[in-house]
Amino acid sequence: MTDILLETQGLKKYFNSPAGEVKAVDGVDLIIRQGQSFGLVGESGCGKSTLIRTILRLLEPTEGKVFFKGRDINSYRKNELLKLRKEMAMVFQDPHLSLNPRMTVFDTISRPLKIHGLARKKQELLVQIVELLHTMGMQAEHMVRFPHELSGGQKQRIGVARALAVEPDIIFLDEPTSALDVSVQTKILKLLEKARQERNLTFFFISHDINMIRVVADVMGVMYLGKIVEIGPKELLLSDPLHPYTQGLFQAVPEPDPDKIIQEVQLEGEVPSPINPPPGCNFNPRCPFVWDLCKEVEPMLKELEDERRVACHKY
Amino acid sequence: MEEIILKIEDLKVAFDTEEGDVEALDGVELEVKKGTFHGLIGETGCGKSVTGKTVLRLLDNNARIKGGRIHYGNIDLLKLTEKQMEKQIRGNEIAMIFQDPGSSLNPLFTIKYQIEEAVSMYSNLPRNKWNQAILEALQRVKLPDAANLMHRYPHQLSGGMKQRVMIAMMLACQPQLLIADEPTTALDVSIQAQFIKVLRDLKENLNLTVLYITHDLAVISELCDYVSVMYAGRIAENLTTRDLFKNPQHPYTDKLVHSVLGVTTTLEALEEIPGSVPRLINPPAGCRFHPRCQEAIAICSKEAPPLQELAPNHTVACHRR
Repeated sequence: MTDILLETQGLKKYFNSPAGEVKAVDGVDLIIRQGQSFGLVGESGCGKSTLIRTILRLLEPTEGKVFFKGRDINSYRKNELLKLRKEMAMVFQDPHLSLNPRMTVFDTISRPLKIHGLARKKQELLVQIVELLHTMGMQAEHMVRFPHELSGGQKQRIGVARALAVEPDIIFLDEPTSALDVSVQTKILKLLEKARQERNLTFFFISHDINMIRVVADVMGVMYLGKIVEIGPKELLLSDPLHPYTQGLFQAVPEPDPDKIIQEVQLEGEVPSPINPPPGCNFNPRCPFVWDLCKEVEPMLKELEDERRVACHKY
Repeated sequence: MEEIILKIEDLKVAFDTEEGDVEALDGVELEVKKGTFHGLIGETGCGKSVTGKTVLRLLDNNARIKGGRIHYGNIDLLKLTEKQMEKQIRGNEIAMIFQDPGSSLNPLFTIKYQIEEAVSMYSNLPRNKWNQAILEALQRVKLPDAANLMHRYPHQLSGGMKQRVMIAMMLACQPQLLIADEPTTALDVSIQAQFIKVLRDLKENLNLTVLYITHDLAVISELCDYVSVMYAGRIAENLTTRDLFKNPQHPYTDKLVHSVLGVTTTLEALEEIPGSVPRLINPPAGCRFHPRCQEAIAICSKEAPPLQELAPNHTVACHRR
């Protein structure tokens, strides 16, 4: 068993809104091991982006703890946070918005290198940036370009190079390919996987695209209304999903196979508001297997065999 | 012989821009058969949305239709006046729905008011039948509690419901052909699945014809009978959905299909298309795909390949086939 790199315990993040408290993240327990590629799927508004922002302490948690390498990240003082930022990097969803349009590629990647004191002289910066660009399948000549001179795929590769620059332990990737075309998506995913293996990195993907997560992750989690409903090794989760939401979600994914027999949709209705989530199991109004207990008692994330965990009263 | 409802021949459209002419469409050819769902696929900027908008003549002011014909039944849509398009075609013969249902509805008016407006413009129904028609259309798209829902405003509905309202608005006017431009891209998978189910029901029960524009091949697989693959303003291949996945002939189609997650489920097997989509200001000479094509030969960089028939319902534009 490999080392635990990141752990959350009962992590909650509530926002105040005029309509009431929004329970965006509502008690998440997660364990991410060193070297793992973890993929979290969920529909929009389920809290996956808020979750990683809270883990990164870009947002202060309402309740609960995040341990990174065994240390509670809330115990980091302001001046120590810089160190944490070097160890946890992030790649954002929209490469058109996450690069400063007035900075060249050189400026963009040299920033984190300078801030963390990884390279100071121009010569050192050049050497490192060229190497990072090569890792991402780009050339030294791209250094002088501005974002508007790059294609969407190239911009996202710069976004990844910037994250790799600080030699982090873990990279959080928030829908890294959803703004890109399929042919470009492949290239990014392959480069990411290569970098992960060469640098012994840990990845934390979040996406609504189950087909993307199934290609890149070893361990998969499913989130619904601020809670993790199921988590486990990818193969087991895909071949035998346990939670009724996971089953419905996977079934809803259109499959590019003309011979597939089309199944009727199981997931009826829509995701309820996180302001007033239903009592008991928050999936109960849409669940085909609902019984009385589900409407009263919230199911805990139960440990099953093969490192699987599921939050459902059926198990 | 199946009836062809829409036939596009040699369609050429250019946009005037500061940098020069962008040849967005360069000889697009496709046929849509009545009662079928026809997919139009391709990557960003390949001209698929422009094709859809050209059919309804909804292009921006800087666009010029440089040539070609769009036959709708016996009518050449490009020969009609703007007034004829508005009176005879848009809404009552051919309707269109767009990607973002939020921006297609006016936030200041109720659902009923907006559907009524469409019905008053495009339908021949007498006024006392409108209410009934609107209610039926909303029920057809499986909107719950349609009688109350039609008095609500767009902000009170979710994205999936708004897109179904758009479909209902279209149905209330009873057009023959629907052009759907990425209608599910803004929706979540479970909502997308519900929407696809509604479309499938309309196909079976109303014999609706749809030109379905998307970049999502999985949706094509679930919905469409025929597919046209576009690349850089041209049709690369017209074929059946089955052939798209089982027997793609154009090198671009083949790569595209195998770069789709879900067709290929491991990272190693996933295909990469080298290079990037060309800019259409100065597109490559000859076949526009040749700089990225592994099978390219001398002629590919000189002459554009014409669409040639390989089998019934299968045409391909490639010198190597």
